[in-house]
Amino acid sequence: MSWHDPGRRRRAYGAVAVTALFGSPLLLLLAGSLREPGQPPVVAPPLIPEDPGFAAYHQAITHGDLVRAAANSMIVAAVGVPLSLLVASLAGFALTQLPRRLASAVIGLSVLAMMVPATALLLPRFVLFRTLHLTDTLVPLIAPALIATSPLYPLIYYLAFRAIPADSYDLCRLADLTPMQTWRRMALPQVQPVTAGLAALTFALTWSNLLDPLVYLYDRATFTLPLALRALAAMDPHNQPVFLAGAVLTTLPTLLVIGVAQRRFMHSYGPEGAP
Amino acid sequence: MNRDRRQLVLMLMPYLVGLVVLVLLPAAATMAMAFTETDLIATSRFLGAANFVELTTDPAVQAAVGNSLSYLMFSVPLRLVIAVGLALLLHRRARGSGTARAAVLLPGAVPELAYGLMWLWLLNPIQGPVNQFLLLGGEGGRTALGTLPPQWLTDPEDARAGIVLMSLFTIGETFVIVLTARLALPPEAYELAELEGARAGQVLRRVTLPLLAPVLAVLVLRDTLMSLQASFVPTLVVTNGGPPPYATTYLSLVLYQDAFEYLRYGYAAAVAALMLGLTAVAVLIQWRLLRRWASHGIVGAGAQRPGN
Amino acid sequence: MTDGLRLRDVHLSRGAITALRGIDLVVRRGELLVVLGPSGAGKSSLLRAIAGLDPVTGGTVAIGGRDVTALRPGQRNVSMVFQSYSLLPHLSVADNIAFGHRIRGADRRAAAARAAQAAATVGCADLLARRPHQLSGGERQRVALARVLVREPDVFLLDEPLANLDAALRTRMRTEIRAVHDRLGTTTVYVTHDQSEAMALGDRIAVLRDGRIEQIGTPDEVWHRPRTRHVASFVGGPGMNLLPGNGPLSLAGVEATAVELGVRPEHVTLSGVGSAPADLLGKVERVEVLGEDALVHLRLGGHPMIARVAARTRPAPGDRVAVDVAAKHLHAFDAVTGERIPLPAGAAAR
Repeated sequence: MSWHDPGRRRRAYGAVAVTALFGSPLLLLLAGSLREPGQPPVVAPPLIPEDPGFAAYHQAITHGDLVRAAANSMIVAAVGVPLSLLVASLAGFALTQLPRRLASAVIGLSVLAMMVPATALLLPRFVLFRTLHLTDTLVPLIAPALIATSPLYPLIYYLAFRAIPADSYDLCRLADLTPMQTWRRMALPQVQPVTAGLAALTFALTWSNLLDPLVYLYDRATFTLPLALRALAAMDPHNQPVFLAGAVLTTLPTLLVIGVAQRRFMHSYGPEGAP
Repeated sequence: MNRDRRQLVLMLMPYLVGLVVLVLLPAAATMAMAFTETDLIATSRFLGAANFVELTTDPAVQAAVGNSLSYLMFSVPLRLVIAVGLALLLHRRARGSGTARAAVLLPGAVPELAYGLMWLWLLNPIQGPVNQFLLLGGEGGRTALGTLPPQWLTDPEDARAGIVLMSLFTIGETFVIVLTARLALPPEAYELAELEGARAGQVLRRVTLPLLAPVLAVLVLRDTLMSLQASFVPTLVVTNGGPPPYATTYLSLVLYQDAFEYLRYGYAAAVAALMLGLTAVAVLIQWRLLRRWASHGIVGAGAQRPGN
Repeated sequence: MTDGLRLRDVHLSRGAITALRGIDLVVRRGELLVVLGPSGAGKSSLLRAIAGLDPVTGGTVAIGGRDVTALRPGQRNVSMVFQSYSLLPHLSVADNIAFGHRIRGADRRAAAARAAQAAATVGCADLLARRPHQLSGGERQRVALARVLVREPDVFLLDEPLANLDAALRTRMRTEIRAVHDRLGTTTVYVTHDQSEAMALGDRIAVLRDGRIEQIGTPDEVWHRPRTRHVASFVGGPGMNLLPGNGPLSLAGVEATAVELGVRPEHVTLSGVGSAPADLLGKVERVEVLGEDALVHLRLGGHPMIARVAARTRPAPGDRVAVDVAAKHLHAFDAVTGERIPLPAGAAAR
């Protein structure tokens, strides 16, 4: 197909339009954050602020205590994300090997769990964590890793592991591998793209989690980034550049992780490889 | 054999414990709490169905049910149509299509709260870029069409539209799934259609959509499940349920406020039960519709082997 | 001397499906036994029962005199080549070959050395650094073979290892597999649905049907003295012609209505009409030329029949030909049970 194919040119224009439309919110966010903070709001701000600067970032970081909040968020992500992936992949693998009836029951429970509104679980969990004296710690924020952050993720692993040819599992049984060894040596390496994708999603969910910190954290020292950002926005709701700067800072790590994961995600082992 | 079985059960155990302790038991507790009046500290009183009776007369709840349903009706189909449209536009190689694919994922990567704050600014009626854009070409504070620009944060209709608008940009996940599904369709089907001289519209209606139907069905279900909660952070951050009294008050917000602002846990639990019930009804209706489609052959064989 | 492999009354069923119905089988140490049968006969189930991948529902499996019925697959010391080769896409060829060896705790250097040695044995030493998706079908096949060679199992199990290869490669690989077996002398069970592969490869052939062994014997025995009607028609390309005992062919000394008579296409002689009796006149319907030979599909007294003749002397479709079969080439089978009936001495055909 040549470049002069009109359909192809139309598609290229479409791609540019899509890029502009979906890229613009972030660009505007960035532009807004570069404006001078504390100025009276200007009508019709140009996309490029007149005097762009990082003053708003400085204020956001100092007033919002964002460094400490970022550290808290990182602790949660550093412990929670790997733990969550571990739980999801172990469970997904076990489901492929356990008797069908047991697997179906667990899958059914997972689907049911997905239907339960997150807000409906807040109360009893709150009671649970308060009884254990774990409120105002980061533990309740890491705890969702036990349900793999979303019950959807073990199911995705389950499907991915099932897509591996049965022969490969037989091969491992002949080599006398335990289920753990089969998981680690044969199955997990083959679903690397799935792991990369789920790692990015899990990180994004964990990093942006607002509901849980909102309920469990009252001590500012334990605030995570979204919660600190909310406090910052509430402090001076009209100083837009400052909270926009905070929003940019909160967004950057997610973009970074998705960028890294995407490269892995696109990687596959050729025709025989996992999808 | 026994050794293997034991190890497999151990591998499943963390997730199973999490599922029971963090989801199933709490959900059951919420259901039980819905029949009581409790402040979670000392007093707890059995009320019977009183909380549920109150639900029917609570103006906030009434408004929230209506708002949640209208959100569902607009947001879910629009999100799907946009995601499918983008996937079909961008599935072929063309200059810039890779960049465009990445761009579609961007808004979804913004943490919910930052995303909400961003829209709080974007939708600002006077300084917000959205209205600045709408006013281009118009005069005297009117748009080019001569109408007043939307008052996103003060007019109830406009505010609800704003919440839906916010949801239309976070379709990255849906987009990726449709894109993957489209790329997996057999080229032979399209070559056949081309040989038969089908026009673009016919190809879409007779080849692409039927083949994608199973995936789309699952996505609609998933989006419905999520949409009752998806409206929570935006309303909390952007509109705080307003403009008053309840223009953008959704069920998730009512629940949160009743529980953690008014400390009426029993009543909040009743709201949670209502949400769960609504979700179940929505899923059930869709499931039945899907089944009917499936029996008419619109939804392909894929839909009949869930979890396969 | 103990047997390489012994199955005694092995049954295997999964749910409502019964795959094996009482298999008795002895494979001598160092022997290459080919299990031959149509799809659905239970060939793969038999291999899986031996390997322990599917637990047997009755009977015993012994390897080298050791009862392994209750043991896990990994404890039976068997190696298996799968039809799909089952190469792990994330590992290089060398790591694929060494996979089982490494799992069993061999150190990296030793495992790599063994892998290289095994690869050399099957002629894929130059592929060690590649990934599976960079290999052709034949190369994958070699790697899969090298992987079973890396250990020293008591039994090799091969499940249709050549089914995914093209015809020319299949012929070459089967010669190589036989050569490797002759060099190593490991007890081997080889499953195939291809009768020519079975004839070329096996020390003995076990013909499987409906979960039972119909016949077990050397290729010569299976060819010349098929024990059942099914074996007769399955072995051969094409298989044996079968006609009712009261049809155009008949045999003195056997009850005509109680038997079916068989004759291989190779043993049907065609000649000009001449003075042949009317009921031995056939009409040629179709002729397939296979290079030197031709397959002549004809109808004899209403019964279909195939003759294999030299292509140079083949008749044309529509021709009438005289059919002749020597009595020594006739096989008789019980019409009801399908079992072979020993021919009475001096039986004569007409």
